[in-house]
Amino acid sequence: MEKEILEQGLNHNRRKFLSRLSLGIGSVALGSLLIPDLFTGKQEAEDGLMRALPHFAPKAKRIIYLFQNGAPSQLETFDYKPLLTKNFGQELPESIRMGQRLTGMTAGQSSFPLVGSYFGFNQYGESRAWISSLFPHISSVVDDLLIVKSMHTEAINHDPALTFFQTGAQVGNRPSMGSWLSYGLGSENANLPAFCVLLSRGKGNGQGVYSKLWSNGFLDATHQGVQFSNSEDPVLYLKDPDGMSRDQRRKMIDQIAALNEMNYQEFNDPQITAKVQQYEMAYRMQTAVPEITDTSKEPDSVIKLYGPDCLVPGTYAANCLLARKLSENGVRFVQLYHQGWDAHDNLPNQMIGQAKDVDQATAGLITDLKQRGLLDETLIIWGGEFGRTNYCQGKIQPENYGRDHHPRAFSIFMAGGGVKSGMVYGETDDFGYNITENPVHVHDFQATVMHLMGIDHEKLTYKHLGRRYRLTDVHGKVVKDLIA
Amino acid sequence: MPKVSRIIPILENLLFFWLGLALVLSLAGDRLEIPALLQVLGRAHPLILHFPIVLLLMAVGLLWLSDLRLKNAGAQILLVGGNLTGITVVAGLILATEDYDGDALVWHQWLGLASLLLSVLIYFFREKSANFLRISTGTLALAIILTGHFGANLTHGEDFLLAPIQSKETEFVALEDAEVFEHLVQPILEAKCIACHKEGKVKGELRMDQLAGLQKGGKSGPFVVPGDMEKSLLIQRINLPKDEKEHMPPKNKTQLTDEEIEILEAWVAAGSSFDQKVSELKSEEPLFQLASNRFSNQKTYSFGPASDSDIKKLNNFFRKVNPVFPGSPALEVAYYGISTFDAASLQDLKKVNKQVVRLNLNRMPLATVDLSFLRNFPNLEELQLNFTGVKPEQLSNLEGLENLRNLALSGNEFGSSSVSELSKLKQVRKLFLWNSGLDETAKEELKKGLPQAQIDFGFDGKGIIYALNPPKIEFEKTLFQDSMELILSHPIRTAEIRYSLDGTEPDSIQSPIYSGPIWLKKTVQIRAKAFSRDWKGSVITSNLVFKEGIKPQSYQLAFEPNPRYKAKGATSLFDGIKGKTNHTSGDWLGFTDTPLEIEIFLEKNSAPKYLSLSFLLNEGAYIFPPESVEIWTGGQAGWQKITQTPTQVSSKLEEVRFGVLTYSLPEVSFDKLKVRLKPISKLPAWHPGAGAKGWVFVDEILLNL
Repeated sequence: MEKEILEQGLNHNRRKFLSRLSLGIGSVALGSLLIPDLFTGKQEAEDGLMRALPHFAPKAKRIIYLFQNGAPSQLETFDYKPLLTKNFGQELPESIRMGQRLTGMTAGQSSFPLVGSYFGFNQYGESRAWISSLFPHISSVVDDLLIVKSMHTEAINHDPALTFFQTGAQVGNRPSMGSWLSYGLGSENANLPAFCVLLSRGKGNGQGVYSKLWSNGFLDATHQGVQFSNSEDPVLYLKDPDGMSRDQRRKMIDQIAALNEMNYQEFNDPQITAKVQQYEMAYRMQTAVPEITDTSKEPDSVIKLYGPDCLVPGTYAANCLLARKLSENGVRFVQLYHQGWDAHDNLPNQMIGQAKDVDQATAGLITDLKQRGLLDETLIIWGGEFGRTNYCQGKIQPENYGRDHHPRAFSIFMAGGGVKSGMVYGETDDFGYNITENPVHVHDFQATVMHLMGIDHEKLTYKHLGRRYRLTDVHGKVVKDLIA
Repeated sequence: MPKVSRIIPILENLLFFWLGLALVLSLAGDRLEIPALLQVLGRAHPLILHFPIVLLLMAVGLLWLSDLRLKNAGAQILLVGGNLTGITVVAGLILATEDYDGDALVWHQWLGLASLLLSVLIYFFREKSANFLRISTGTLALAIILTGHFGANLTHGEDFLLAPIQSKETEFVALEDAEVFEHLVQPILEAKCIACHKEGKVKGELRMDQLAGLQKGGKSGPFVVPGDMEKSLLIQRINLPKDEKEHMPPKNKTQLTDEEIEILEAWVAAGSSFDQKVSELKSEEPLFQLASNRFSNQKTYSFGPASDSDIKKLNNFFRKVNPVFPGSPALEVAYYGISTFDAASLQDLKKVNKQVVRLNLNRMPLATVDLSFLRNFPNLEELQLNFTGVKPEQLSNLEGLENLRNLALSGNEFGSSSVSELSKLKQVRKLFLWNSGLDETAKEELKKGLPQAQIDFGFDGKGIIYALNPPKIEFEKTLFQDSMELILSHPIRTAEIRYSLDGTEPDSIQSPIYSGPIWLKKTVQIRAKAFSRDWKGSVITSNLVFKEGIKPQSYQLAFEPNPRYKAKGATSLFDGIKGKTNHTSGDWLGFTDTPLEIEIFLEKNSAPKYLSLSFLLNEGAYIFPPESVEIWTGGQAGWQKITQTPTQVSSKLEEVRFGVLTYSLPEVSFDKLKVRLKPISKLPAWHPGAGAKGWVFVDEILLNL
């Protein structure tokens, strides 16, 4: 009986509860009157992102990243260590090596004889920076350079190190630096991709580059790097076939877009929208790209500046010239890779060839941007994925030796785009093995580059698989000392 | 008490009203537009919130009792308290739209809402079970206490203080406008010190909310002693160990960051001035360095922003218009796409003429465009006109632009006479004039005319002599039928291409200059070389093209080719298919132990005049020219040897290439031919395989008229 009474009471209460809920709904309606767009909804997320970026005033608008794939030796380029020449053939002291890891290629060596640079060094410019004789042209623009001698990374082999530099992680499923910038800042010129990739290869021992290095990772496919071909036709299949007019092409693209839109309505797959955008981009590139790849209007002096090789498609020099053209046409991030720096043996010889490939064109690119008034807004980065050991790999002779991978300390340089110029940052010990002053980790470097572009590296994130990702993972500190 | 019983259902109904309203407001409060009257209700939140706290806690207490009457009273109190909670929550949500922020608010808001929800649920389901009642009322009590705690944090705690300052940090202060004290030091004091050193709460008799107070100091002594870190109490106190009583800010308050400590120290070291500008500091001073990290290098502007819709409308595929940095009223504009450039579209920019500070028109054809519209862009600071074809006389439109600092004019053919026009642009600080056709005297004159400007004349390449790249030879196919067009080109337009078709070396004097497509009618070796002023001539580039010959009636090889390189036998020599540079491609017949000896039987009256042998050269793969070539004609008089020539031996390793040897055939009539090519029997001494036998590879034997 008691139970029934309780039931009755509860039923009564339930009815009351439900009937009064309707009053609550009434008040919801009242509340909604105060909020004009309550039921219209808003695309907060995307709009919000675009409005908030850049996070602060950018110092650089565009980047040209001259990646030296295979890891050029810092000891033959920017990190002058006379002690290594003096102590030629002597064992690397354990007090310097401190048991740090080696690659499988030299870990088995019974001795680690020191070897100094085959090439002489000289001091240049107001910063009195030491640069080896391999780079006569680069030394002539030293007052525009910021040389960082204290870079260090985590990986010791090419692929993870490259991937780490480009994506902030050693495993290859993250978006590349260029993709992050494309995602964060979009394109300046809507007729060109925001992120372009150019490849070249020297005669030195090479390491491959893979498209994962310019992958959009989990970002939208429109942020993927667009690889230009090494041929005279840098973007393949861009021309309309004979007999097809611009109008017909336009109609075709519109109709494909309409079909794709129907598909999108059905499946809601963002890849479909990305595809539509890519078709549209390709259509606009049909007029934009020929204007850019045409070198015939370049004055003679430009050819002399980059060196005549810049007229040979697929060379580093030609890519530098093309990079300048893409960049001045508003491409946010131009990524070059020059392969062939992996000199495990016969290093002096290989370095001569590689340096010849890049020296003049790199300096030329800097000068060219400068004389157009564009260097201030364009950041140039030159460097590899790690450095090379101060001890010899394999047979040792003063004029013929090799160097293994060395992630503990290496040199890169930057120019333009809001970095200090005519400065050398960081220092290594007399053996060139460990950093003694102002270390710059790869994540710090990435954070600094993002900062120069007006992005707070901690705020540019993308949610994927339930967590927010960023280029610098959970690390990285902006190196303010590098910023002008 | 009949009256009371009528009020109860009304109060019950109202509970849901508050609940609904509170839900809506909390979910969409940020889009709320509050009438002034409601704002007053919102601000009453701190006043009324105390009633429901008391009532709800009282109700919780009573509901825990077993006495039925008291329990009932508890329910009634809960009903009243619930309603008051509703009012408080709604008021609080309205108040929350005014400048409140931070984690504390989120906690306070949702806990308050939870308290309301709980009191409603408890009221209606209080009889369900004793357990439910106990747990739910316990939770309610906890929720109320926590709500109160976070509320207190909000009004009196650190978050309350920090919120307005944090929003200030994102505000842009230009480095050149920044004041050392006002923008660098004061914000730190406001954030971390002022809460306890202000009017009404003058701890240690030090007031930091006014300059006089700072200058006067506190009861223990002066706040700062200019330039003396040790005597300045500010520096002393912030550097004491954290556990010391005198350490500032006190242990339980938010501490100074390392950067803030650095700033305060640098400020005192530099003389603790209250009215110095950052720009007056020397750039190597630590304080300047710290300041430059904090402030944007961008300046602030006196003009207001353009309307968002105007900016949006101006953006299209060929024109980018956007603020120079977020929140800035200043705009930068860039044009892209030469072929789509429409000069009339420049007029659209008039809508934002005050805001445009940077304009990039690089490469747009402006030679005939009226640039007078630029006169109406008073705030223009940077103008890029590289390679636009602008004329010196168009520059007069820039004279009145007082703020123009950067002007890029590279790649326009100005000539030396433009110095007078350029010299009028006194306001310009950076001028780019690379490749503008100014001679040395003109450059010097201009430097004198614009002493305040930094002029970049760029790289002219004079005196640097490089070898030209070789010209490019283009044709449709290596083996052609009747005739073929041959095109020579060079990436440098001004380069002159000279060529020869007879295998001789082209020179810069006698060889013909290429002026248009060449029509070839016979097998030739084309050799070409580029020349240009200020350049060394290029290396010679050469190529072989073959005219397809007449087909013989039949042919017979004396020796089989090497079985690995036999192609389709002798047929391959007359099939008109040119082999690729790869000798394993299946088009080449290779011989090493035996010579290539072939008898060719001609059609009647075919009478070819030339015989060409097309062979492959790849020294690295031991493939050399034949050591000797012998040719016989045959007719009624039997075999007649017409030639036996040793050929030129390669002298170094070279890239894979084609070779050809052409021989004239005699006028006398013959109906068959015999050809014999001897592979090189000993590779020369310079070759890695010196002394070994070499190879001959032939893909075609051509008989031409």
